[in-house]
Amino acid sequence: MGRATSSSYSSIDSNNHQSLSSSSSLSQLKRDLSTDLRLGLSISASQHNNSSTPRVQTLDYPPIQSLVAEGNECNDRATFFVKVYMEGIPIGRKLDLLAHDGYDDLIRTLDYMFNTNILWGAEVDTKHPEKCHVLTYEDEEGDLMMVGDVPWEMFLSTVKRLKITRAGPC
Amino acid sequence: MMNYFPDEVLEHVFDFVTSHRDRNAVSLVCKLWYRVERFSRQRVFIGNCYAISPERLIDRFPGVKALTLKGKPHFADFNLVPQDWGGYVQPWIEALARSRIGLEELRLKRMVVSDESLDVLSRSFTNFKSLVLVSCEGFTTDGLEAIAANCRFLRELDLQENEIEEKKNLWLGCFPDSCTSLVSLNFACLKEINLVALERLVARNPNLKSLKLNRAVPLEALQRILMRAPQLVDLGTGSFVLDRDSDDSETYRKLRGTILKCRSIRNLSGFLEVAPRCLPAIYPICLNLTYLNLSYAAGIHGSELIKLIRLCGKLQRLWILDYIGDKGLEIVASTCKDLQELRVFPSDPFGAGHAAVTETGLVAISSGCPKLNSLLYFCQQMTNAALIAVAKNCPNFIRFRLCILDPTKPDPVTMQPLDEGFGAIVQSSKRLRRLSLSGLLTDRVFLYIGMYAEQLEMLSIAFAGESDKGMLYVLNGCKKLRKLEIRDSPFGDMALLRDVGKYETMRSLWMSSCDVTLGGCKTLAKQMPRLNVEIINENDQMEFAHEDSQKVEKMYLYRTLVGPRKDAPEFVWTLV
Repeated sequence: MGRATSSSYSSIDSNNHQSLSSSSSLSQLKRDLSTDLRLGLSISASQHNNSSTPRVQTLDYPPIQSLVAEGNECNDRATFFVKVYMEGIPIGRKLDLLAHDGYDDLIRTLDYMFNTNILWGAEVDTKHPEKCHVLTYEDEEGDLMMVGDVPWEMFLSTVKRLKITRAGPC
Repeated sequence: MMNYFPDEVLEHVFDFVTSHRDRNAVSLVCKLWYRVERFSRQRVFIGNCYAISPERLIDRFPGVKALTLKGKPHFADFNLVPQDWGGYVQPWIEALARSRIGLEELRLKRMVVSDESLDVLSRSFTNFKSLVLVSCEGFTTDGLEAIAANCRFLRELDLQENEIEEKKNLWLGCFPDSCTSLVSLNFACLKEINLVALERLVARNPNLKSLKLNRAVPLEALQRILMRAPQLVDLGTGSFVLDRDSDDSETYRKLRGTILKCRSIRNLSGFLEVAPRCLPAIYPICLNLTYLNLSYAAGIHGSELIKLIRLCGKLQRLWILDYIGDKGLEIVASTCKDLQELRVFPSDPFGAGHAAVTETGLVAISSGCPKLNSLLYFCQQMTNAALIAVAKNCPNFIRFRLCILDPTKPDPVTMQPLDEGFGAIVQSSKRLRRLSLSGLLTDRVFLYIGMYAEQLEMLSIAFAGESDKGMLYVLNGCKKLRKLEIRDSPFGDMALLRDVGKYETMRSLWMSSCDVTLGGCKTLAKQMPRLNVEIINENDQMEFAHEDSQKVEKMYLYRTLVGPRKDAPEFVWTLV
């Protein structure tokens, strides 16, 4: 199957990530995040993406020039690209967090990107010895934290980069 | 017998040989024919500007009047080629200007064009008539001013999908009053325009046949322009919205009346902004249309779109957004019996999987439109059964480009790869020249392509295949292959190096995010000195060692007679 292997180079556009200054910029997103940002509730947006594979927007696909893709709309969609590293691989990837609805969506993309199964949140506490990767992130204080503990919006406001590490002895 | 004819007779005979390939073939017959052909050739096509130098062009074809040049590789359209990669037209224009070439037509695609180039161009060739720029960049409206002001006999200025920096809005006014020779003008890719200058220009150019406006031309202005140019054959509307302030019904009535007089319009495009209630004004010309391009008309959908389509019984080419849906495509199939080319673009390519067309729409089209020979279809999903049906209904494909928005999606009904479906297409369309694949695909599809796609010239592969065998099937089987572009597929050095001579029979090969290594590319470059093997390495992490075992991010190789290019940027390494 022609999947991008974890050692292949990124063809993602490296955009500077936009700091999340106001919730209004998020509300202008094409994708409707129907969560109440102020209250930080973790009600994820309705799953209108039913396909089991993640969006590949970050991989310059489908092959269409942006002129036609945008049509009339002239979307200034907010983006928030963060670096993602997998332990043991020197070359990182970049991912647009705002292109995802929530943790599930993010994990799906990362699983696909790095060709692995990633544990996050509650799964980490259960026993899955064969799944060796765990998703962590570096927050604004520079600390390495487990992904999934805080509501998605709160996560978006503190995450600086992502790291996929080995869970334990494997 | 031909050798006893004087050169003039040979030349006269060659005048009837117009296609580039035929003329190339003629020139290979013998030295005499080569000589006569080269002095009489007026139109030259250079598919890769780095394959040859301007000096050699001028030397061989001193009589050239019309030149086509292409720069960046095709995948540049999809952000896979970094800025400043190359493709500069400046050296060509400088060399042509220095020579005594009487250039009259220049057509450029994916090249970097500067204002200076345009300025030199405009002042160096007194009979310059036609400038067509497609997907170019690097110039501003200053360059357009020079063209407008200095090309006294300009007939055609066609700007398609370029990135143009708009400075002052004066360029259109730079056409002198004496300019009355325009036949074709397309500025749809610009954001602004000087309306007054436009209307005056149209008024004094009675031979104008093709006019494509931009978003800044409102409906009222369109009406006035059409009044002056009822002879138009090719119209691209700008904005098709009535200004709130104006008297709607009066303007609409005038527009409708004016359009009724435009009996020659056969090609219609634009509608960059549209108020659907104004659309009935164009209904009278729909029945004569042979080409309709609504790919920018996001404002036309639903019943308005259907109403419009139902009137276009003579369409041969249709470009639309996927708003049309499978049901809409069924209506196209029952209305447009002469349809030859269909392009369905995604309205929301990066969206949440709502592409409104599926295999159903395509099958309907194939049933209703057996003359279909060119397809570009972005869709949600595809099945093998559908492709097999399409192959059976339409055996005349020349171009078949399918893009499933999820690039590795299998047949959703059987969960199988789409190998059999594409296999059916290549087996049935014996004249297929261009193919783009998508969906879940194994090496098998490439076996079929190698076996059946005998006329295939261009193949685009993304996220497909399982092993080197896939690529080898193609390289071995497709004898007429000219351009091969591959991304994110597991093809490596073994496939790359099996038949290195093949690449001299092709224009170019692009491979990105595949498994070819630096060592493999170096080996290839060493063995084939007449190929430029270029590695694009954008990563700023230059500190990792350039080991031969490292996989190459992007490789672009092409045959050339002039060695490594001297204008390559830092991030492009030409291996030797």
